[in-house]
Amino acid sequence: MKRKLVAGILAAVLTVSLLTGCGSGGGNSNDQGESGDNTNAEEDAGGGTEDNESPDRSEKEDAAANKGRVYLLNFKPETDEAWQELAEIYTSQTGTEVNVLTAADGQYSTTQQAEMAKAQAPTIFNVGNVTAAQTWNEYTLDLRDTFLYDHLTDKSLIIEYDGKVAAVANCYECYGLIYNKKILGDYCTMENAVISSPEEISSFDVLKAVAEDINGRIDEINESFGYELQGAFASPGLDSGSSWRFSGHLANLPLYYEFRDDGCDLVGGEAKIDGAYLDQYKAVWDMYVANSAADPKTLNSGALNAETDFGMEEAVFYQNGDWEYSPLTNEENGYLVSSQDLGMMPIYFGVDDENQGLCVGTENYWAINSKASKEDIDASLKFLEWVITSEEGRDAITNQMGLSATFDTFTGTYESSNPFVQDANALMADGRTSVAWSFNATPNVDDWRADVVSALTAYTDGSGNWDGVVTAFVDGWANQWALAHEGEAESETP
Amino acid sequence: MEKAIKKYFPIFVLPTLIAFAIGFIIPFLYGIFLSFCKFTTVTDFQWTGFDNYKRILYVNGVLDTTFLHSLWYTALFAAVCVLVINVVSFTIAMLLTKGIKGTNLFRTVFFMPNLIGGIVLSYIWLMLFNSILQHISKTIVSTQWYAFWGMVIVVCWQQIGYMMIIYIAGIQNIPGELIEAAKIDGAGFWQSLKSVILPMLMPTITICTFLTMSNGFKLFDQNLALTGGNPGKMSQLLALNIYDTMYGTAGWQGVGQAKAVIFFLLVAVIALVQNKLTTSKEVEQ
Repeated sequence: MKRKLVAGILAAVLTVSLLTGCGSGGGNSNDQGESGDNTNAEEDAGGGTEDNESPDRSEKEDAAANKGRVYLLNFKPETDEAWQELAEIYTSQTGTEVNVLTAADGQYSTTQQAEMAKAQAPTIFNVGNVTAAQTWNEYTLDLRDTFLYDHLTDKSLIIEYDGKVAAVANCYECYGLIYNKKILGDYCTMENAVISSPEEISSFDVLKAVAEDINGRIDEINESFGYELQGAFASPGLDSGSSWRFSGHLANLPLYYEFRDDGCDLVGGEAKIDGAYLDQYKAVWDMYVANSAADPKTLNSGALNAETDFGMEEAVFYQNGDWEYSPLTNEENGYLVSSQDLGMMPIYFGVDDENQGLCVGTENYWAINSKASKEDIDASLKFLEWVITSEEGRDAITNQMGLSATFDTFTGTYESSNPFVQDANALMADGRTSVAWSFNATPNVDDWRADVVSALTAYTDGSGNWDGVVTAFVDGWANQWALAHEGEAESETP
Repeated sequence: MEKAIKKYFPIFVLPTLIAFAIGFIIPFLYGIFLSFCKFTTVTDFQWTGFDNYKRILYVNGVLDTTFLHSLWYTALFAAVCVLVINVVSFTIAMLLTKGIKGTNLFRTVFFMPNLIGGIVLSYIWLMLFNSILQHISKTIVSTQWYAFWGMVIVVCWQQIGYMMIIYIAGIQNIPGELIEAAKIDGAGFWQSLKSVILPMLMPTITICTFLTMSNGFKLFDQNLALTGGNPGKMSQLLALNIYDTMYGTAGWQGVGQAKAVIFFLLVAVIALVQNKLTTSKEVEQ
């Protein structure tokens, strides 16, 4: 009886979702198919299709591809427009239906859970880290024998889980300490300046000395050079719009050095950490707080905006990543900094300063929905192949989205023009080791970070102490790891 | 005629019934079913029995207090809201039925906050609170009590106007003769309030307490936008706690669902009890 009821309900739900799913999708692929004839010329002109397809790839094959459906669930809200354009171009060229849906900022997992349950589920989705790969293990296709994997410049830029290549990185990003070259250069010309050129900042101790000196002589600097500087560092906000810079990005450094010491996978992590480098973490955090204009007691108010602080030349240093290049230089924002003022240096951490480069990694990985139909999977792979080989696709990724692609098809004019990326490359060329994005290993990342931020807030406003941060960091890690991984053994058995 | 209605009523009821089933009954029962499963998407589940319910309280072998915390925090919040909103909106309603000048203007002004969405409202209040609290070096999420009173203020500000309208309607429904008769019998203001107005208002009070109580328990947007559950998870009301479990913890969708079922039972029981209590005090006119 009970079973019948449940079965009945499920049947009803499934029927309903099938009906609605069929109603919305698939309808228009036929009309668009007609424009698919002139495709070959266009695509070959792109020059990138260097796989072994015969030149007389005929309409027959195109027709087969047309049957499939591509549905990309996009992770980066700022790239939505470019993706929608790409989808339109591809549809008009090949007739394959391409839908792009972009989840709102911070809503990816919510959107993903709703969309994946639909009959017309996304065929391409983002997997941010190993935990996500574990969650979506039953949905990820092994990408080892695909064009995407073959053309990765660095084969380590993948997420491996359960013996398969679950996802392939589509861009990499870097972060560090963004600094204003102009203000720092002017400071260097002052009498009794700690350094005589920005390049001399090569360790945590020097950085701290410079920051403290700048912060102590703000009035003097403003008077001599006409700035409106308020602090050496941009405000270290601990509200949800900014706290990830410290609970995620800055916390990456102690994690990275600990993983490196322990010899475990740098982005895979380990079940228990000791917090061996938390003293350095504290030192950097204290330096940020002490040398910024923000009131340490109200860092979580949500009223602080570090980007504005830096953009309006109210701060010299700003810890963030290469994605800040476009907002900082976008004229609509009205910032005072210009693109030649921008530079990025490593977040000197006092461990291995002479060898440390910028933090380079990504949370942007493409995964293919293995539960989609064969045609849809093929169509999706074909679409992504087109994106990374065609002129339109490469132009959109490099120039419109401003990303640094991870594929060897991006050469010449398609290399990134972002000055921060160039700084990262220069440091690498200089023999520095890029710091991996070890924070991608964080178990239950939202929960873990929330606890760390809350402890960090209490420590900074004086209502808690540093031990609380250590507990949230170390014990919280072990606790969340156990939670996140407890189902592993049983879920791997079929 | 009656026979025909009896015969054909299923046909007339059917469209509504189908809509109600699709929109409410099926998702509701399906939700209860899912609370006994481990699932990633709602069409992909695995029966696990009472496992999810166990995990609400026991995590990694230790007692997890976040759910219990948000349980009493929410109960307290709902209680404070019910009290403040009803007392204040009743008082305002009494004042605005005295026929003073500009009554309609006041009614409109008091009702207006209700027209603004919860998220927008909370962001505006967030700025207000923080710019005031800044003077004493605090923020709205400095401690759970700042967050608590912040939410109480926002919710009261928003709902008082609405409840006021209901109270006004109720007060206007009291026959003038009754109050007049009380006056002639020598009853003062407090006496007629206690012995005439309040008993006559019981049906309105039932509705208003029910609405404020269930709104208090179900509060979500204001909580999310104003405090986000900070500091830590200390200001998470139940709805936000469930949301957070569902989406914040990998593989815990089922636990979130189980919490939601318990949440439903709790609100249902409290609402029924409250309804019974206030309805029993209602008098025949």
